[in-house]
Amino acid sequence: MNDTRPAADPAAFEIVKNSLFKIAEEMRIVLCKTAYSPILKSAGDFSCGVFDAKGDMVAQGPDLPIHLGSMPDAVRAVVKAFGADVHEGDVYIHNDPYFGGSHLPDVNVVRPAFNDGKLIGYACLRAHWPDIGSATPGSYGAVTEIFGEGLRLPPLRLVSKGVLNTELEKVILWNVRTPDERQGDLGAQLAATLRATERLKSLAQRYGTERLIAYMDEVMSYSERLMRATLADLPDGEGYFEDFCDGDGIADDADGNDAVFWVRMKVKKTGDRLLVDFAGTDPRVAGPMNAVLSVTCSGIYCGLKMCVDPNSLIPPNSGCWRMIEVVAPKGSVVNAEFPAPVVYSNHEMSHRVADMVMGALVHFWPTQVMACSQGTSAVLTLGGVDPRSGRRYVSYETIKGGFGARPNKDGINVIASTISNTMNTPVEVLEMAFPFRVERYEINPDSGGPGKYRGGCGARRTWRMLEGADAVGTLCMERMRSAPFGLLGGKSGAAAVVTLTTPDGKTRHLPSKGAFQAPAGSVVDMITPGSGGFGPTAERDRVAIEADLKGGYVTAEAMKREYGV
Amino acid sequence: MAWRIGVDIGGTFTDVALVDDTTGRIGVAKALTTPRDFAGGVLAALDSAMRRYAVAASDVGLLAHATTVVTNALLEEKGARAVMVTTRGFRDVLELRRSSRPDLYDLFQDAPATLVPRHRRFEITERIGADGKAVTPLAEGEIDSLIAAIRETAPEAIAVSLLFSFLNADHERRLGAHLRRAFPDIPVYLSSEVLPEIREFERASTTAVCAYVGPILASYLKRLEDATQGLGLPRLYVMGSNGGVFEASEGIAMPAIAVESGPAAGVVGAALVARQTGRLDLLSFDMGGTTAKASLIRNGEYETTPEYEVGGGASANRFMNGTGHPIRVPVIDLAEVSAGGGSIAWVDRAGSLRVGPRSAGAEPGPVCYARGGTEPTVTDCNLLLGYLDRNSLLSGDMQIDFAAAERVIAEKLARPLGVDVKTAAAAVIDIVNHAMAEALKIVSVERGHDPREFSLVAFGGAGPMHAAALAAELQIKEIVCPPIPGAFSALGLVGTDLKRDYVRTFYATTATANPAALEQGFSALQSEGAAMLDRAGVAAERRRFVRTVDARYARQSYELSVAVPDGRLDASAIMVIADAFHERHRQTYGHDNRTEPVQIVNIRVAAIGTIPPLRIRQEVAAPGTNPLKGERRAWFRASGETTARIFDRARMAAGFEAVGPAVIESLESTILVPPGWTARMDTDGFVLLARNP
Repeated sequence: MNDTRPAADPAAFEIVKNSLFKIAEEMRIVLCKTAYSPILKSAGDFSCGVFDAKGDMVAQGPDLPIHLGSMPDAVRAVVKAFGADVHEGDVYIHNDPYFGGSHLPDVNVVRPAFNDGKLIGYACLRAHWPDIGSATPGSYGAVTEIFGEGLRLPPLRLVSKGVLNTELEKVILWNVRTPDERQGDLGAQLAATLRATERLKSLAQRYGTERLIAYMDEVMSYSERLMRATLADLPDGEGYFEDFCDGDGIADDADGNDAVFWVRMKVKKTGDRLLVDFAGTDPRVAGPMNAVLSVTCSGIYCGLKMCVDPNSLIPPNSGCWRMIEVVAPKGSVVNAEFPAPVVYSNHEMSHRVADMVMGALVHFWPTQVMACSQGTSAVLTLGGVDPRSGRRYVSYETIKGGFGARPNKDGINVIASTISNTMNTPVEVLEMAFPFRVERYEINPDSGGPGKYRGGCGARRTWRMLEGADAVGTLCMERMRSAPFGLLGGKSGAAAVVTLTTPDGKTRHLPSKGAFQAPAGSVVDMITPGSGGFGPTAERDRVAIEADLKGGYVTAEAMKREYGV
Repeated sequence: MAWRIGVDIGGTFTDVALVDDTTGRIGVAKALTTPRDFAGGVLAALDSAMRRYAVAASDVGLLAHATTVVTNALLEEKGARAVMVTTRGFRDVLELRRSSRPDLYDLFQDAPATLVPRHRRFEITERIGADGKAVTPLAEGEIDSLIAAIRETAPEAIAVSLLFSFLNADHERRLGAHLRRAFPDIPVYLSSEVLPEIREFERASTTAVCAYVGPILASYLKRLEDATQGLGLPRLYVMGSNGGVFEASEGIAMPAIAVESGPAAGVVGAALVARQTGRLDLLSFDMGGTTAKASLIRNGEYETTPEYEVGGGASANRFMNGTGHPIRVPVIDLAEVSAGGGSIAWVDRAGSLRVGPRSAGAEPGPVCYARGGTEPTVTDCNLLLGYLDRNSLLSGDMQIDFAAAERVIAEKLARPLGVDVKTAAAAVIDIVNHAMAEALKIVSVERGHDPREFSLVAFGGAGPMHAAALAAELQIKEIVCPPIPGAFSALGLVGTDLKRDYVRTFYATTATANPAALEQGFSALQSEGAAMLDRAGVAAERRRFVRTVDARYARQSYELSVAVPDGRLDASAIMVIADAFHERHRQTYGHDNRTEPVQIVNIRVAAIGTIPPLRIRQEVAAPGTNPLKGERRAWFRASGETTARIFDRARMAAGFEAVGPAVIESLESTILVPPGWTARMDTDGFVLLARNP
């Protein structure tokens, strides 16, 4: 029998570890290159991972941190539902946040890997489908129960020993708006997970199944050891932070105003352990801003990973979080209970929590955090019938804002931050596919929070619906009222603003969440949030001030107002 | 009597390879690279080579050069002061990029670099729609003030990239004409001329790269060409990233085609080996001091990839959005890893052994070079295992400190790992070999090719030392070590055709494409290519045009390249294109969908001026010469510590066999023959390694 302890063969362990991460990366390539919808193929809104037989994440691909905490639950849900009834050639599908999902549009495809009849582990690919049914194109309506958010799929066997369950597939395709596009995306998810399980099998053939399984376990312990050692080197301490969210998309008074609600967080670090406690956080809200616990955890893990391991040396997997304890009141907005609606919270609450982690940690790790980033995925969906082709369409875009200022450098303008890392879709590709024109996509000056180090600027982007193209739009944003905070004297970044100008010439502000009618000729104008500044403005370097002026990132008036020069 | 001369610039040396066209005989010369002005080193190396082999300038039929000027200008951020003009509302297209960040968790990452800073980015009112029609006419009235504003910035080059100019270039052309009149002394690059292809950021980025490096490349090539023509040498050809050479003037018109000029030359050399040795399917492996590069030759041809990222942080996986500047030009498909003889091995805080990405480089170099290196490197481990001479390298020119290498490996690797030094050194070699095997897998397995069906061609200073282990890992049966491995890229330069690629977006599905329109599109590109071949004076019988399309399923986003049948296009030819696409998709991704429409996105023509084939030959020793130099102890995974015989490559006669364990030494490189392998010298100076049956 081979010695399966990694120490017995240091080279083999390193090689297997690299191979496992490579497998997750290869899944990404196959998905991107074969998927049909722009949100997957161009924007990259998906995550790939390799899991052990218990459902723990061994290797996460270089995709989206938002899925750090919740992907293992997706695989565990399959393990729980099917137990030993898992066979070579099977594929499972599900999306229900109350059974291991994050929100209904994120559809998980889980495929077990076998060698010689023995289960090695799983490949899971979670992909955001641009539509999963419900009353609104894009499935981003402001509803009050999960039943209104679209098709719910508990863990189901989509493929059984290589045979596709076409009846289940029909149920799925019958419930979404653009079924042939969804079929293409599902095909890409199947192809990518197949590639991963083939690779796992060949690793098992090379190193032996038992040895590979032992190494998979050791890869997680390896990350855990690194994480603990790094945590132990950092100062102990305790910090508190509270912040309010813009609303949940449901009117709270007769004038149609959406009330804000609060998230409260205490972080306590002792030795090589860390506790995050949400005591005092508001209870569930009516609209879809309730996060299931695993989504909340994703935000925490992402924020912590950036602070504890700022140079990104520790491989991300389930081992990283074994020393992190999260306490969240049941039924609160950060630990939703069935049947609370959740669709917005998936990214809006995890963005929020990731930024808040920095706000709490600044009290004892002031050189290892950044000021608040854009704090929202800034989702705009537009859907209807394309008058050019007569076909139904749904466009889903997420627009980026500022990346927070750091203790030693400025933030970054218009780039994905914390839990998000999706790409924009090229304007030329969008306009070929959808009946609108993008009239402006530019950096919004003066939106970066002033400070010793300036926050990153947000963006301004404008869409005009073409002639004959009446659309239904939905918006899902945060940070319209709660501007991204600065740290240690740095000021807030500019808040988000979205206006709708209808063909009758009337312009109104859109609320942060919910559906709206955009008749042909309408113009949607979005300003995304800038990020917060770091340190007092009085300490900003002259050269940096000059450069900001020269590039027009800060206007002369704002410079005078904020920096007194 | 006609000679071909190739000049390749490396980090330390500028290499010259000469080939006698009639006999195939090879010569080599080197001069120190002169980083401040590369032309100096090139001229010195040329002079040395021509003297040594008594070559008169009038005897030289072909002069080709691989330039690092473009890559260096981007890496060192020393390009021209460029201006960019965009459609109103899109001034920031270069800075907004695709909005993803290169590292997910790096809190301190820098903003990706932008070649044109914001104060030199200008807008003009105009707009073309997605149907190619003008939505807003070009605002002629703004042009005077635009020119005045540009003039204020004292520009050295101008890039213009307007939305949808790939469908309708009218606005770009008119604006370009105004700018060229106003700035007659600086280059103006229009995106519709550089790259008439969909996706505004990638097109703008390619155009900006041209403007950024254009002036530097132009002045460099002009100086070099003046000097070489002053010597009476023929017109200068430059290696392009697509593996063909082009005339200097072509590169000045489209500078982005000159990136990765050097690495391309090595792959071209490998393709030459494929054709000459009749081994048409080869994996090419080029390993030096800091990086290793892998590429694939199939049927004697290398593959190219349509998109590449230059400058910024290097990435082995070019599909990930990095920090560099994307260019959409065909670049030889190669995977590069930061692994070389100088890569540093270390034990991380969780007790795991790691190799790289840091490298000791040429300075201070490995510990055993005794030039101040203090970290154990791959070369130190090779030495410890007995693969390198314990006393000296470069035939005695360089002294080796074996004890220092052993001490450092013991202290920094073996002790923390709790193993003996040999085990530690072997583990380092295993890890670095694995990283390089991954690079070979990227170009083979990931592209749907089984490496077991390929031979491995190994070159670069360190390539032949690691080749056998890589072959074993990938179950490759045979290795080819060509002559002059250290200057092999320079050799590749003189064995390739004149080649330029032309592309245009052509949107149609194979079901609805009008064959006449498609034919017309190809003909237009072909005329551009013919004009280039006219300028280069290529005779009709040496001209070739290769047509391909970039195609995908209608709703996918990434294209695959598919060959177009020869002859005038008709409906059945389009069917052949669709079939070829389904097949290619199945081969690449494991599935196809024959009911789905196939979308043609771009059409391409490669215009080629063929050069007579080259035959490489290096003199081998006379029959009966004894090449045995001695013996030494060496460690192999299969056998543990054993005795290896040491041979001198220069004294191996044709047909001589070295049975492993053995080491074959030459001035610039060492071939390792592990137990179970046998190396044989052929009549042309190639050493072939095969696994014993």
